[in-house]
Amino acid sequence: MDNREDILSGLQISKKYNANTREVEALSDVSFSLKKGEILGIVGESGSGKSTLLKIISGIEKPDKGDLLYKGESYKGAGIVKTGKFLQMIFQDAYGSFDPRMTMRKSLMEISGATEKEILEITGKTGLNKELLDKKPSRLSGGQCQRMSIARALLSHADILLCDEITSALDVSTQAQVVKLLEELKKKNDLSIIFVSHDLALVSTLCDRIMVLKNGVCVEEGETSKIISNPKDAYTKLLLSSVITVN
Amino acid sequence: MKSKKLKLKRKVIIAAMIAIILIVVALLAEVIAPNDPYATNATMIRKAPSAEYLFGTDNLGRCVFSRVLYGARTTISSTVFLVAISFFIGTLIGMICGYYGGIVDEVLMRVADLTLAFPQMVVAIAVAGLLDGGLGGAMIALGITMWTSFARLARSHTLTVKQMPFITASRLAGKSGAYIIIRHILPNILEPVLISALTQIGTTMIGISGLSFLGLGVVAPKAEWGSMISEARAYIQIAPWAVLYPAAATIITIVVFNYLGDAVLEYRDNA
Repeated sequence: MDNREDILSGLQISKKYNANTREVEALSDVSFSLKKGEILGIVGESGSGKSTLLKIISGIEKPDKGDLLYKGESYKGAGIVKTGKFLQMIFQDAYGSFDPRMTMRKSLMEISGATEKEILEITGKTGLNKELLDKKPSRLSGGQCQRMSIARALLSHADILLCDEITSALDVSTQAQVVKLLEELKKKNDLSIIFVSHDLALVSTLCDRIMVLKNGVCVEEGETSKIISNPKDAYTKLLLSSVITVN
Repeated sequence: MKSKKLKLKRKVIIAAMIAIILIVVALLAEVIAPNDPYATNATMIRKAPSAEYLFGTDNLGRCVFSRVLYGARTTISSTVFLVAISFFIGTLIGMICGYYGGIVDEVLMRVADLTLAFPQMVVAIAVAGLLDGGLGGAMIALGITMWTSFARLARSHTLTVKQMPFITASRLAGKSGAYIIIRHILPNILEPVLISALTQIGTTMIGISGLSFLGLGVVAPKAEWGSMISEARAYIQIAPWAVLYPAAATIITIVVFNYLGDAVLEYRDNA
């Protein structure tokens, strides 16, 4: 039994979109919880609602129904500026997450209260050379850019990181470096992370718990080892069998 | 590919150099002009081009060459000023509409649709008539419809940039809408809107000269190409040079600025 407190939770979150004339249910009564220092993996195929859930958690979008709690207090409808005080997002498009016309230093300085000393310290922690700070995103590799995204998230002293398919655009060796970095940072800073990916193999090595989404519904949720060794839902079994086939 | 880019770059440089020469000539009109453009001379009425009067004289014996030079200053400066003001107001409105959306966007874009529903020159003539003419009146009349093209362009580019993850990252960093518009949106949409401004210079020049030609722009005796053509057309058969030179100056300037705009646009598309 894990006695750590819930730092973030979502209660019966639902979201519908209007696509032309028909209504699409992106999320239906999805509940989740994230404990301090835990990595929760969210997996599912394209269109399963993973990204919608992240948008709702981060405050970019409002849920139609349900509630969101940070340390037990509701923050539903608080807006992205307020949620930015306790969570940060790392995007799939590492290059697109930095203004192409700004140097990395200027982009990192946008975090309120960030000092030059702190920037140097955190970029060092993320394994980046300080000379990269004077470069624009197009001069960095995909892996370096993603590390900078992580550095920016750390600068804000957020408790929670939302990672949206952050390794899908990286090559395998860079993927491994970024995942290793996340694991180290989680241990050192006691960070809580929501890791969204369609790569079940990666999620199973990194995450403490897994939530499987299909067509906006949570079909299975539990500890990683249990889900991997004994999946209950047919869809989870299908996802796992595809990983095994590839391997 | 590289040689095409080089050719396009050369095209931009040549067009920019000619445009700069025109601007410098307009700025140095007082130094270059051989005669006082406003001094009338009863003994030199409608004289053909000569060494003393390069472009001849008009109906009041004024030096057409000096008036064309002074007219360049009036026409080019008022055009550039009007384009700059319309660019500033239109871009600001477009960015606000695109970024915030909602009711502000709906209202301002419907106003823009409304002004675009009528031909620009018809609206400009009506407004300039209501304002009793004058250069200021002509500029206001043209500016009323001109900001809309910048606003629409800025809005559409803002909608694209707004979707970029770095905007979300900036919002998560606690930055305000005004900060994001100035620091992130503006620098990223500036290039296409500036190029559009460059291509608008020729059209605006036609507008200002057109209103002056109709007597709704610059008031005599101030030298301005449109009003010079309007004054001299009455005696075009006996002194065609009084119409020909300001008309040629107008056409050359419009062609140069349009060529520059097209060259920059082409260069950017192939960059």
